[in-house]
Order: sequence, then C-alpha cells, then structure tokens
Amino acid sequence: MPENLIEARELTKRYGNKVAVNNVSFDVYGGEVFGFLGPNGAGKTTTLKMIVGLLQPTSGSVHVAGYDVQTQSRLAKASCGYVPDTPNLYAKLTGRELLRFVGDLYDLDRTQAMRRADELLRMFDLTSAENDTVDSYSHGMQQKASLASALMHDPRVLILDEPTVGLDPKSARLIKDILRQLADRGAAVMLSTHILEIAERMCDRIGIINKGELIAVGTMDELRMLDKTGQTSLEDIFLSLTGGAEEAAIADVLK
Amino acid sequence: MNSHSSSYHAANAGLLPSVWKLLRLRLRITYNSFRHARLRNKIGMIFLWLLLLVFAYLLLAGSRWLLGFVHSPEFARAVGIDLGGILASIPTLTLTALFVGTMLTSFGVLLQVLYLSGDMDFLLATPVPIRAVFITKLLQAVLPNFVLFSLFGIPMLFGLGMASGYHFSYYPLVIVLMIFLTLAASGISALLVMLVVRVLPPRRAAEVIGFVGAMFAFLCSQMGNLANTFGRDMEFSGTRLSGLLSLADTRWLPLNWAGQGLVALGEGRWLSGTLLVGATLGFTGIVFWFAIVTAQRLYYSGWARMQVVARKKNRTRPRTTRPTTTGRGLAHLLPKPIFAILQKDFLTLRRDLRSLSQLISPLIFGAIYTLLLLRGGEEPPPGQGEAPDWFMNSFQVALTYSSVGMSLFVGWMLLSRLAGMGFSPEGKNYWMLKVSPLRVDHLLASKFLVAYLPTLGLGFVFLSVISIVQGLSILEFIYSFIAIVLCLAGMTGMLLAFGVAGANFTWDDPRKMNSGVMGCFGQILTMIYLPFSFGLFIAPLGFAQFLEYPLIYGYLVGLILGSLFAVAFTLIPLWLVWGRVERLGAE
Repeated sequence: MPENLIEARELTKRYGNKVAVNNVSFDVYGGEVFGFLGPNGAGKTTTLKMIVGLLQPTSGSVHVAGYDVQTQSRLAKASCGYVPDTPNLYAKLTGRELLRFVGDLYDLDRTQAMRRADELLRMFDLTSAENDTVDSYSHGMQQKASLASALMHDPRVLILDEPTVGLDPKSARLIKDILRQLADRGAAVMLSTHILEIAERMCDRIGIINKGELIAVGTMDELRMLDKTGQTSLEDIFLSLTGGAEEAAIADVLK
Repeated sequence: MNSHSSSYHAANAGLLPSVWKLLRLRLRITYNSFRHARLRNKIGMIFLWLLLLVFAYLLLAGSRWLLGFVHSPEFARAVGIDLGGILASIPTLTLTALFVGTMLTSFGVLLQVLYLSGDMDFLLATPVPIRAVFITKLLQAVLPNFVLFSLFGIPMLFGLGMASGYHFSYYPLVIVLMIFLTLAASGISALLVMLVVRVLPPRRAAEVIGFVGAMFAFLCSQMGNLANTFGRDMEFSGTRLSGLLSLADTRWLPLNWAGQGLVALGEGRWLSGTLLVGATLGFTGIVFWFAIVTAQRLYYSGWARMQVVARKKNRTRPRTTRPTTTGRGLAHLLPKPIFAILQKDFLTLRRDLRSLSQLISPLIFGAIYTLLLLRGGEEPPPGQGEAPDWFMNSFQVALTYSSVGMSLFVGWMLLSRLAGMGFSPEGKNYWMLKVSPLRVDHLLASKFLVAYLPTLGLGFVFLSVISIVQGLSILEFIYSFIAIVLCLAGMTGMLLAFGVAGANFTWDDPRKMNSGVMGCFGQILTMIYLPFSFGLFIAPLGFAQFLEYPLIYGYLVGLILGSLFAVAFTLIPLWLVWGRVERLGAE
C-alpha cells in the first residue's frame, strides 16, 4: 500500500465573499504523478499554495508527508519542494549561489549540498551559466533553476504549478522525465497544467477543479467512466465536465 | 471582412490621429487609475493640485511685485546699480534650466517607458505608425516634468513680463518656446537612451541611473556641509555672479536665443526678437524631428544587437564570493539558515546598485562629519571661565560624548534602511523563505544581523576616528563602544519590528518598496529612543561629577541603566511582531 503523502481534507479558501476553493478533498500517494486540471481561475494555484503553506486555508486541513501544514509546518515544509508558476528567484545571486542558499535553508550538509548542486546544474544544463546572476537567465533557464532549487533537498513531495510553461520541447521533456523518475523513487508529484496532453501522458491520476470545487478525481479510465457522453480523450472529458463543450462546438463551426 | 477593412484603415492612419489615439489611451489609463484609487488618495490628489495652483498664483503675484520693485527707478537709486541686465537674463536662465532639467530627468523615464515598461512590443506589433508610438512615449515621459517646470517657470516669466510691461506677444510665446525646448530636450534624451542601451542592458542602466541620481541628490542636500568642509575660503562675490550672468548674454549659445528673443519681442525690438525666436523654433523643431527619426531607426536596428550585447554583458561574471575570515567564523558560529540569509542579503546589497545607493548616503554623511570633526579638532578647547568646577566637569563629559552620539546618528541613518526595510527587499522572492522549513527566530535573527553588523562596523570606525581626534582615553573608548553596541541593538530591534509590520512584497520598482507609514513611525520613534538610550549611559557620569562621587560609579550605573533599556528595546518589539512574522507572505 503506497504511503499517502498529500492529504487534503475539506480545504476551503475564501477572499471576502468570494470562494476560491470550496471543500476540496483528495489524496496523493507516494509513487504517483497527480495532475491538477482546471480552467483559468478555477482555484488550482490557490490549492497548491495552501498545500505548500504559502496560503492559510479558511477551513479544512492539509497533511504533507503525514505532517499538518498548519501545526507542524516546518516538518511539512522540510518534506516538500515547490515550483511556482512564475520563477521569482533572487535575481542578484548566481545559479550556484542560489542552490547553495537553498541547501543552507534546508540545513543540508555543506559538502553534500555542493555535490547535489553540481548534479542538478549538470542535469538541467546550467553548468555553463552557474556563475552568472539569475537576472541574466532566460525564462526557461529560470524555470529550470527554480526546479533545481525545489529538488535540492530531495523532497518526498513535489508540487509544481504549470512547470512546462515557457520551456522549449527539450527542457519540457527533461522535466517530464525527472518527475517520472522522482515518482518511481517513491515521491508524490502533484502538478497543475493547462496542457492536457502532458496530463494525459504523464499523470497516473488526475483531479479536475472547476469554480473552486473538485468535480472529478481518478485515473484516465475512471474519468472516462465518469463522463456520461462517452468521450475518450482527456480534452473532451475536461470540456464536458467543466462546461466548455459548447464553446468547443462553436469553435468547430468557425473553423 | 469588416474587421479586416478596419485593420487596413488603422494601418493607413496618419501620424497625428495615431498620436492622438495613443494619447487618449494614456489619458484613459490615468483616469482609470484615479477612478479606482481610494477615496482618501483621490482627495489627497485633488488637494495637492489645488495647492500647486495656489502656489503658482502666489509665485506669479510675488514675481510681479518683486520684479516690479527691483525694476523701479527708486530701487536703482537706492542700491546705486541698474539691475535691468540681470532681470533680462531671467528668461534665458529659466529656459536653459528647463531644457537641461528636462534632458536629465527624462532620461530615466524614457529608459523606463521605452525598454522596461513591457508595452513596446505590443505597440510595435499593432498597425500604428512607429513614429506615433515614439512621439507618444516622449510626451508620456516629459509631460509630468513639463507640468512641474511650468508651475514654477510660467508664473515667474509671466510675472517678469507684467513687471517689465512687455508686449502681449511675449506671453503665448513663453509657452510655445517652453513646449519646443522640452520636445527637443526629450528627443536628445531619447537618443542618449538608445545609445546607452547598446552598451548597457536597460535594467543595469536603470540601476546606474538610480545610483547616480541618489548620490547626486544626497550630495546636493549636503552641499552646505561640503562647502563648510572643503571651501571655507570660497566667497560668492558679485563679480562671480555677473560673470555667470554674462554667459546668458552670449549670442552664440543657441540656448540663449529663446530667452533673448522673448525679451526683445517683449521690449518691442521686433526684428531681432522674431529672428531669435524663429531660429529657436526652427532649431528645436529640427532637433526633435531628427531625434525622432534617428531614435526610430536605432530602436529597430539596435534591438536585436542590443539583445546580443545585453546577454554578453549580463554574462559578465560577478566576483567570486570567497568567504573572508569573518565570514568563515560566522559560518561556523551561526546556524546554516541564518548564515545563508546573511550571505544572500549582503551579496544582493553589494550587487544591486539601487540598494547600494541607499547605503552609501550614511557613509558619505559620516565622512563629511568626520572631516568636520577633524577640522574642528584644530580649534582650542573651551576655557574654564567663571563656571563652578562641577558644571565644567559635567559639561566636559557631555562634550566628549556628544561626538560619540554622532556615530549613533550615522548608525540610525543606515539602520533606517537596513532594518526599517528588513523584510520588504525580499519582494516577490519571499516565497522561497516561506516554503522552506525556516524558524521564525532564525529569520528574525538573520534580518537583525543583516542590519546590525554593518551598522556596528560603521559605528566602530566612526568611534575610532573620534577617539583619535578627541584623544579619548581607553576607558572612555570602551564605554562608548559598549554604549554604541547596545543602543544600536535597541534601535535595530525597533526598526526591524516596524519593518515587519510594514513589510511589502508586491513591489516591482524598488523605490516603491516602502509603501506604508510604518517606516516613518519607526524612524520617528527611534529618533526619540536614541537620545534617551544614550542619555542613560551618559547622564550618570554627569551626576557622578555633580555629586563629586568617583566616576566609576557613574560608569556602573550608566552601564546597568543603559543596558537594561537597550536590551528591552531590542527584544520587546521583536517579541511583539513574532506572530506577524509567521503570517508574512500568506496573503
């Protein structure tokens, strides 16, 4: 039985009268890649931020690697890596300095951290730019540096918000391979994406959120069974579940 | 088909309609910003504008009265000289200031709107003539400065016209010439921007400008002290003033043509006036047009090259960070997360010129006052006079330690930036700290040390110089140093707590980092704290002298009182914001 590494229970986030996330519950197990899909503004980023402790839920709870994110936040955070949608990194640090900084934040042994930084820089093809400041990096390089930072402490749980946006196909493929390897080594990987093809190919299970509510969770086969229209592709299932099928039909007419 | 035809129509639109379209967009954005602003901000803005208008009216009335008085034969008889020449040079001086001022101030704004605003690519991709885009950008850059200059310049020049009884044509021409000179200055500035970004990446150029601007502003603010320190023998004589003003009479300087032409027209010398004003309008018009055409070419042809240069320049490797002995010592002494934040913040401060500029100000200030003290050291000590001994002894203690207090003031200036904005510089990168398993005490300790250590270093250097200049004894030096260590710690604690309360992580422009009033409160309260805290160390020494007890009692009492006070002010404010630190960044 794989370990339950992310356990969200009745997670709710309100901003005044607006409900961004409403009563969302799901589990992500070790060894699986969990895709989190939803239209723009559905509540994906808010949910992910609550899992990593960047946002406080209005109600409900999240456990990461068995630790409550609210009450045992340091233990939960020590088990978790996070890659945000926009790679806001310290612009005036070099790539290597950034990784060393992250290593120290997670209290890694310095020699071990240096070795890990070397590995990650090589893996993400950043060795030639390791002594350049981050503000000289392209968006793709920053995205890779952000992922390298998240992997510095070899987390058991990895949360990624739109990890492949702005990446060239080679880098996107590299990230997909790394995430798969991480999951195969027993980590729980949760990612949000708009690219349904990635979700369909990479993810073991998929959760679909719409207007703040989790409307479906399961493997591709389970989602196909959920959809009463008998659609087979994730795109069709997604549109059917989120109410975008009508728009797609109109788009077909305009073609 | 309709949308296609309207797109083609837009592509064929003339220059002026396109400029108008883009200006309307800008006006709409300004209007929307005002409409969606908070009510108190709206009221504040309206009040500010009314205040500026009242100021302009008062300036007009004042200029008219004052210049009329200076112009009067009674005044000339009373002072024995005719100031007509000086008055006639006012338009030239004002318009020159407008031209040079616009050229300098619009450089930074143009750099921002042309390269860093992010809408240039969008605008260049639309079927709007590129020339219209440039003209709009120039107007957008110079308009605020032009309005500001006009609020000062127009009332003064109109006041001069009224006082001197100038012809009616003088008044509209003042405005026309101001507009033409502003456009020409902004055009030259735009060209300079294009040239600079070919050498430096735009963001680096903006940092350099920020740094130079801050240094220049600070040096200007300290001009009085600098003059005292370096130029005691300098005298501002009437001869020098008339020498300066004679420059305004020179015909060969094109910048003088506008002012001289205005005066000539005002006085009814039509031929020379028309020629000079015409030459100015023609010359500035050509400069503006040339600048627009060249800037347009430079922008297009230089963009790709600039990107390549920028990458190469950006790739210039920063100096390798080899830990110093102190650094190695701290690395062993401090927990890793604290040392990591300390190292990261120091590297960032050193590499970001805009941050560095804010730190250098206290250093310059310290240097100026050190020089003042060094010069003051040559003066003879105050004599005994007829005052009683206890008074003279207490007074001597106060004198000795008042210069030590100066090092605390320099420290206060540095701490206001380092501790008062301890958290805000993290900006949008704060998530990295927030998602890490960092303890609150570690975070606070690291931010405390980032502010405290450099300030303590500066205080120590300043104290050492003072000790040498004033010949402090070893005991006085050690006691002063302990007082500085503790007073600065209290000040750091207070300012850091206010920094937590007013933390702002949403800024894009570092100048807008400190958006709240917390920073101001912190500075005011620490200014009150400082004399109290230092006074508790020093006052017992004076009392000991007064009561004729051995001075060692004064030192002991001062140490106990001062330490308790300073330690309380170090810890209590940080304890008060402890819970807030945990919530920081959790929107």
